[in-house]
Amino acid sequence: MLDLINEIRQTLTNNRLRTILTGISVAWGIFMLIILVSMSRGVFNAFESQMSSSTSATIEIYSGTTTMAHGGFKEGRRVRLNARDIPEIVAAHPDMVDEVHSTLSVDTAKVETPTDYTSQGLYGAFPGSRDLNRCKIIAGRTLNHADNSEKRRSLLLEKRNAELLFGSADNAVGQTVKSMGLAWNVVGVFQHDWDRDNYVPFNTLMQIANNGDGYVWRLSVLAPGMKDEEDGKKLEQDLRATMARLKNFSPDDSGGVWIYNRFTSYLSSRAGLGYLDIAIWVIGILTMLSGIIGVSNIMFVSVRERTHEIGIRRAIGAKPRSIMGQVVAESVVITTLFGYIGVVMGMALTEVATKLIEGNATIGQAIQNPTVDLSIAVKVTVVLIISGALAGLAPAIKATKVKPVEALRDE
Amino acid sequence: MASIISLTDVNKTYPGAVPLHVLKGINLEIESGELVAIMGASGSGKSTLLNILGILDNYDTGTYTLDGTLIRDLSENRAAELRNRLIGFVFQSFNLIGYKNAQENVALPLYYQGIGRRKRNILAMEQLERMGLADRAHHLPGELSGGQKQRVAIARALITKPSLILADEPTGALDSKTSREVMEVFRQLNDDGMTIVIVTHDPGVAAQCKRTIRISDGLIVPDNSSIILPPDPDA
Repeated sequence: MLDLINEIRQTLTNNRLRTILTGISVAWGIFMLIILVSMSRGVFNAFESQMSSSTSATIEIYSGTTTMAHGGFKEGRRVRLNARDIPEIVAAHPDMVDEVHSTLSVDTAKVETPTDYTSQGLYGAFPGSRDLNRCKIIAGRTLNHADNSEKRRSLLLEKRNAELLFGSADNAVGQTVKSMGLAWNVVGVFQHDWDRDNYVPFNTLMQIANNGDGYVWRLSVLAPGMKDEEDGKKLEQDLRATMARLKNFSPDDSGGVWIYNRFTSYLSSRAGLGYLDIAIWVIGILTMLSGIIGVSNIMFVSVRERTHEIGIRRAIGAKPRSIMGQVVAESVVITTLFGYIGVVMGMALTEVATKLIEGNATIGQAIQNPTVDLSIAVKVTVVLIISGALAGLAPAIKATKVKPVEALRDE
Repeated sequence: MASIISLTDVNKTYPGAVPLHVLKGINLEIESGELVAIMGASGSGKSTLLNILGILDNYDTGTYTLDGTLIRDLSENRAAELRNRLIGFVFQSFNLIGYKNAQENVALPLYYQGIGRRKRNILAMEQLERMGLADRAHHLPGELSGGQKQRVAIARALITKPSLILADEPTGALDSKTSREVMEVFRQLNDDGMTIVIVTHDPGVAAQCKRTIRISDGLIVPDNSSIILPPDPDA
């Protein structure tokens, strides 16, 4: 084995420029494959992060306008959603629905200390809702179920508001502020890229603003029981029927409420990204193949140029399989060595990209952690070795067909 | 003394639009320990004969026995094995591999016998010392003179301890002084018992051999210039 490696080293270093140029084409192909695949992974990761399982298994219901006369009502009636619909929906679908969230907002609500105040929106949100999940807690805690169910006057303060009122986020936690004429306990401080509104429990705000049952513009039905598209479509139909019953419109009236099935939409997008992933693999592999075809081409040239040498080797006792083995091994070495350089460079670049993206929230929305894991690197290496062997096979077979007597005449 | 080479009615024709009958029933016996020159004009068939003797080419009819082994319809692997074990080649243009140094070139036939690198290098060094080239062991062929290259080629031919050395115009690319030195090497090897067959068109080289075989138009020409005709197949 050591002898073969030495033979290969001598041959490759004897044709250094050709070896390097061939190697670069392979390294470039693999490098592009790694970059493309990692970017695809990054897009997929960003998608998965934004559509985390808790929020992706969601169906959202918005108020609508009836398009059919029903139950003594004319068509064109505005159907409005209420906070009291929430327990009704949970009760109607106990097997599938865990929770129903909604939001309530007061456009401008002063939040005051004895010395300062801030005028921002005040949002009533459910613990674990998408709205609250977007808020990165930097001090204290987020709103919890006890805050909501017990209608506590707990308040989550936005960082800049906290700094204005208390000098820092840490100072704000545990303090009391006044808003809507009532005292609130600051339980935590969050950071958000663009939002400066403050958050309170939904039930608390609903109680204060609407005596417990006001209109809401959206109901988010959390149904982790949905496993596939069929489940999603069925629950959507069932929810429409439930809403038709609660709001007294025809179950066949698609206008009564507007339903956005986030779950089936998530499944479709996921499938689409899956196709994108396949397309990127195909493009990447074709790019890699062009490099490997280059290796094969160069090996043909190499065999042609070394016909005389092959003749000498055959004359002094080299068997055809020995010549073949050497040509294939050279091809494998070029492909694997330079391919691995491409893998390392590609992975290094994706690591750098990951670090850069981590500090950029805007790009982070589209791409997250664009890296390939080690298993892909291992698979690519195996593919490289096999590809190298295949690339060298045809030139190697050609080399074994060289007649020693003819090869010795070749100068 | 036993024949190391025995050819009986060997024919060789190159196919083509006009088939070329190159060897026309060659009968030849070369005994072990002989130093033989094969002479002939260009196109006489001497190179074809050498290629057949060296198992580099096939013949059509007849029989060829080398050191007791019938050389006939051999697989490429078997032919390579016999070339490696029984024959040492010396060529006019040396045929050394340019990117290998003298020691590596000499050791190469042993690589194909599966002998380890350390042992190969020791044996190659012994042969180079025998050729007076120990101090040139790590030089590339491009750094050697013509005579040195040919002595490296002879060392390579000897390293497998073959039964026979086949030399194709071994002095063809050398000056007269170097030619004499190379022929002196061959004579010494022959004195040590090595069978050597030299193909040459140089009468001076042939004169230094113990026996000369002339070939003309595909036939062996006896010393009295009367042609030995092959047996008549219709007789």
